Amino acid sequence: MTMINVKVAAIEQVTPLVKHFTFVKEDGSSLPAFSGGSHVVVSIDIGGRVHRNPYSLMGSPMENEAYHISVRRQENSRGGSVFMHENVTVGMPLKITYPMNLFSLAKKGRKHILIAGGIGITPFMSQIADLKRMGANYELHYAFRSPEHGAFAAQLKESCGDHLHCYIDSNATRLDLQALLSDQPLGTHVYVCGPSAMVVATLETARNLGWPENHIHSEQFLSPPIGEPFKIQLARSNVEIQVSAEMSMLEAIEAAGVEADFLCRGGVCGRCELDVLETDGALLHNDHFLTDSEKASCKKIMPCVSRAKGERLVLDL
Amino acid sequence: MERGYWIKSKPVYNALVWHEKATAHLVLAQNQGGLAVLKLFQQMQPQQPVTVIYAQHDTDYAKTLKKVVPDGLDVVSSEQELLVSLKNIMPSMRMGLRVYVAGSEGFIWSVAEVLKTFGVEEADIMKELTDTLARTIYCVHCKAITHNITTNIGKCSGCARMLFVRDHFSRHLGAYMGLMIDAESPGELPEIEEIYP
Amino acid sequence: MALNFKKETFREDYTYSNSDAAIKRFPFPFPEDQYMYSVNIEPHTKGKQGSVCEFTFDIDEHYVAECIDKKITLEQDPGRYQALPHMMDAQWDFVELTMGALAQDYPEHFTLQKQGLIWTWENKPLGIKDTFTFGDTSTLAAEPFDYIGRQLQGDFVLLDHRDETLYADAGIVTSQADWSLAFNVGMSWREWHGPVPRATELGVMDRALKYLLNLQIGSPVRRLNWTMTVNPRLDTSPENYPHWGSDRNTVNAENIGDLVHLRVELQTLFRLPRSNAIVFSIRCYLINLKDIAIYPCWAKRLHRVQKTMHPDLIEYKGMTKFHPMMVDWLAKFDDGETLAIGTQPE
Repeated sequence: MTMINVKVAAIEQVTPLVKHFTFVKEDGSSLPAFSGGSHVVVSIDIGGRVHRNPYSLMGSPMENEAYHISVRRQENSRGGSVFMHENVTVGMPLKITYPMNLFSLAKKGRKHILIAGGIGITPFMSQIADLKRMGANYELHYAFRSPEHGAFAAQLKESCGDHLHCYIDSNATRLDLQALLSDQPLGTHVYVCGPSAMVVATLETARNLGWPENHIHSEQFLSPPIGEPFKIQLARSNVEIQVSAEMSMLEAIEAAGVEADFLCRGGVCGRCELDVLETDGALLHNDHFLTDSEKASCKKIMPCVSRAKGERLVLDL
Repeated sequence: MERGYWIKSKPVYNALVWHEKATAHLVLAQNQGGLAVLKLFQQMQPQQPVTVIYAQHDTDYAKTLKKVVPDGLDVVSSEQELLVSLKNIMPSMRMGLRVYVAGSEGFIWSVAEVLKTFGVEEADIMKELTDTLARTIYCVHCKAITHNITTNIGKCSGCARMLFVRDHFSRHLGAYMGLMIDAESPGELPEIEEIYP
Repeated sequence: MALNFKKETFREDYTYSNSDAAIKRFPFPFPEDQYMYSVNIEPHTKGKQGSVCEFTFDIDEHYVAECIDKKITLEQDPGRYQALPHMMDAQWDFVELTMGALAQDYPEHFTLQKQGLIWTWENKPLGIKDTFTFGDTSTLAAEPFDYIGRQLQGDFVLLDHRDETLYADAGIVTSQADWSLAFNVGMSWREWHGPVPRATELGVMDRALKYLLNLQIGSPVRRLNWTMTVNPRLDTSPENYPHWGSDRNTVNAENIGDLVHLRVELQTLFRLPRSNAIVFSIRCYLINLKDIAIYPCWAKRLHRVQKTMHPDLIEYKGMTKFHPMMVDWLAKFDDGETLAIGTQPE
């Protein structure tokens, strides 16, 4: 995988839980342009173990001097976000992937409804730059816990004006999805990014109102969940690997020195898909990529986020 | 046609069935398509408002439709009139509208073309083929469109070349590709047979 | 290395020919004795010096003549250029990719100067020099994709990425192997590849699509495709089939070595950054059977590949009329020697 060498140019505490990082190319040259909704995977080395986490790019896609990401501190996670908050300092070199987009705007859409919850605002920051440049019709609906958690609300108010609608839990203002989605012109697309409950509610509301599936867009990167340790056998590489509780299968494969394909590392893109040759237990599918019937067939697994239970899992790698 | 051979650009048409999830329904039919609408109304009627526009021609289901469709029925006398009515009502339609079309292939794609201009994608329209299998042909040589071709080989209305009617269909043009049949051996035509009656 | 651009034609008197150097670098597509349709995609990384993959876009001795032929085709039929309105970002992405690559790889022929968004492009072989504002279509005489597409050898299709598939929503296509852009514009991947026999049933197209949906910025890929064409004609379009279809009748045992050409497409695919679209570039190389036979291992290989070709593919590639004659012509070069896997001429 081709990586870009960057260094941290600035760090800013945006809310009590969110830090904003600015990256520039280590050699001072320009970064690749990208499209609204793109993300990069950031590699960090924590005590000799490489963590790779996807983060949305927040800057304007037209600006290629620097990339911007925001990281919410997740206490009960495997340490990636905590490390970003506590150990990453200005000037530190990092490796990132080229931008990729699994949450792109529908260019033929006539109107765009963007729905963000909390840190889910990040992919919309770059999309808004694109929508404004194209002169598109859009609304941004942004929900957060309390005024101090509304990262970027002030900045958005300035750039979006009347297009921005904020909903603050502590002020008991709530987004009425049913009302919002039942009165939109034909050709409207809805995009949602935020906590799982919000994503599910948006998808269900739109579907129940008869919105066609390709007008409904969501992005929800998953962090590899912590689970029970288990063992895997790689048939072609002829090795057995122990997957520890806080490691993903993909990370364990990489740590064992076996090369595996990957892109998003969040259960979305499908690139790391592996064929299951044998299994005696249950596969714990956590991805958004495989269909329900593929999951039930026990023939494929996404090692970036999924796990297994049982004694034997043989993969075609 | 060879067994197991299928060109994926060729549209597949189904029998109309109500969408369970919708905010409103719009049914457009022509001629024999009226029967498809009557069959639709044999199913459990949806809760949401329904609008039906029917263009009668030589076959007339209008009388029966008037009895069956509770309200929101508009009977017009030609495809052109139907398209005009459609253009008039579309601006008030909102997301959640489900569209159903029944008629000849030419009719279906004329309707789809109008709907596209209002932001309704072809893939989201439910389509039932009735009446005739006659095809609309795009001449790849002179770009003319010829309607109502019922044979394997048809004459281009633009350049008069004899065109082989391929199974390759363009949703953008609403037509099958017509390719000169005797380009390699001018004048040598295979037997012309009716296969799209 | 400065290129010596040839004066030659791809229609009527067909003065096209390959120099010895062009023959030697020809992208011969058959590494094995049997041909089977496959995805055969590999990273488009820098190839050997002098090879057709040395640079991002290959410019060769036929460059000027091909651009002139493209101009004639577009004048006769403006429908060979199509771009749906939502593809404008992709058009500018394409300008950035192609101008940047040419200026970097062939600095003696092309230059690009940027002062912020004000760009000056100079194409010396074609005598073009223009200054424009990147992103502002009103500052160019044509749409950006049209403008630069005319200054490149080969065909280009811009694919929009939406609904988990790719749509052919723009193109400039003048040297195609018998498919029509005007007809195909707006088609999804599956519709577009509808008429390829034996490919769909093998699931090849679905696999290729899955791969391309994950194509990344900065990691282009390539593959070779091939067919056979009578006469060195770039414009073997269905549009002009009435003009070239009967050429197939002119082939006989005496002239086949001169008339029948192996037509190889170097297909490259690039993810575009701002639009998230994909460029599908199809660069056509033509070589007649006589020139192939200069290298014995190519003649032997081509003989074996053609002799074992599946009848459906013979029909699909339009070779029915001259295929047996071609196999006979090639047979005299084939002594049955075992050939190592590979496509090298020597």
